[in-house]
Amino acid sequence: MMDPTTLLTLMNAAVAQAPEAAEAGISGAALIKAGALIGAGICMGFGAIGPGIGEGFAAGKACEAIGRTPQEAGLLTRTMLIGQAVSESTGIYSLVIALLMLFVIG
Amino acid sequence: MDLEPHTWLILGKLAGAGVALGFGGIGAAIGMGNAAGMANHAIMRQPKVQREMLRTMLIGQAVGEGAAVFALVIGLFIIVVSPANLDLIGGNYFAALLGAGLSIGFGTFGSGLGCGWPAGNACAGFARNPARSPKLTQSMIIGQAVAQSPSIFALVVSLILILTAKNGTDLPTMGIYISAGLAMGVSALGSGIGSGQTAGGAVDGIGRWPLAYGVTLRTMLIGQAVCETPAIFGMLVAFIMMFAMGDLNPGLLGFAQVFGAAIAVGFGGVGPGIGSGLTAAKGCAATALRPDKDALILRTMLIGQAVSQSTAIYALIIALALLYVVG
Repeated sequence: MMDPTTLLTLMNAAVAQAPEAAEAGISGAALIKAGALIGAGICMGFGAIGPGIGEGFAAGKACEAIGRTPQEAGLLTRTMLIGQAVSESTGIYSLVIALLMLFVIG
Repeated sequence: MDLEPHTWLILGKLAGAGVALGFGGIGAAIGMGNAAGMANHAIMRQPKVQREMLRTMLIGQAVGEGAAVFALVIGLFIIVVSPANLDLIGGNYFAALLGAGLSIGFGTFGSGLGCGWPAGNACAGFARNPARSPKLTQSMIIGQAVAQSPSIFALVVSLILILTAKNGTDLPTMGIYISAGLAMGVSALGSGIGSGQTAGGAVDGIGRWPLAYGVTLRTMLIGQAVCETPAIFGMLVAFIMMFAMGDLNPGLLGFAQVFGAAIAVGFGGVGPGIGSGLTAAKGCAATALRPDKDALILRTMLIGQAVSQSTAIYALIIALALLYVVG
């Protein structure tokens, strides 16, 4: 069992140190803001990988097909653009969520 | 963190050189193995021209291996060279060495991997048409040279990081150094792979239909230029962080600001780089097949690449918002 006087001294010391910890930038509000900033980066960064590769894949196949049947170029380009627009949607979701994290939560 | 200057220095050397050579070796190893595998397959089909194929494979592998050599040079530089005044070293120098390692490690990954496709496809083209060997070797070397450019960007950024690091220890500056390396390195990864795929597609097309050499090479160079865009965005953000940053938020918040921007522009560039390469590879092969329709194919290829690049532009916007608007 600890001596009550020692316990009181320790508690006083702990209370005195708490504001210093907050000033050093580890307060809850700063942590939330920092999390929102890194989260926005992760969201847009990794979110951009899939649409980039997917749209490139679609466009590559369209180029290949136009090389084989150039007379269908209009139809093939239209199909490519529709497919890319659908693939782009997840990139736009990431953009929206990243902007929300930056300007609403952050 | 209060560490001795000597501890920071050794920690930085270990982390920087480890990341540089660990990641930098992977891409070149896979790419060169891929080239050797395709060369073996080609020699199986045409054993009569095996000496020429072996020569082309070795030239192609030597160019691709250059990426791993860049990583080796930076790794040795980090280990061997120490600043003159050891007493002033702090966390910032550690962060600069780690950032340099990240930049050259990821940056050479893509170029090394990408350089394997043109080398392999050149050997495959020899097997189809041994008479066309000079044009195949020529297009292979041109394509590989462009595919190496992202690793040269990464080399420049890592040298700047090592040579201009500030003394002392503060979290936002450490964040800037690590983030500048990460932004440059990871964004160069996608561009390197994409440019290599483009060169591979062009060499493949020239090997199959050799008559359209000039127009295929033109399509290849335009396609590769678009593939380089994410690496240039990454280099732009890295230079902004190192030289044009205003006052960052103090402490953790400043670190989060630059680190978030680096993840956005770095990883955001991987997909568009690879995707543009997939498009341009098929575009080059189609141009070689139908050189009379080159304008139509080039137009479709550029539209497709532009759509694929859009996500890299979103990532750049988020990174710039993190650097300038949120602060």
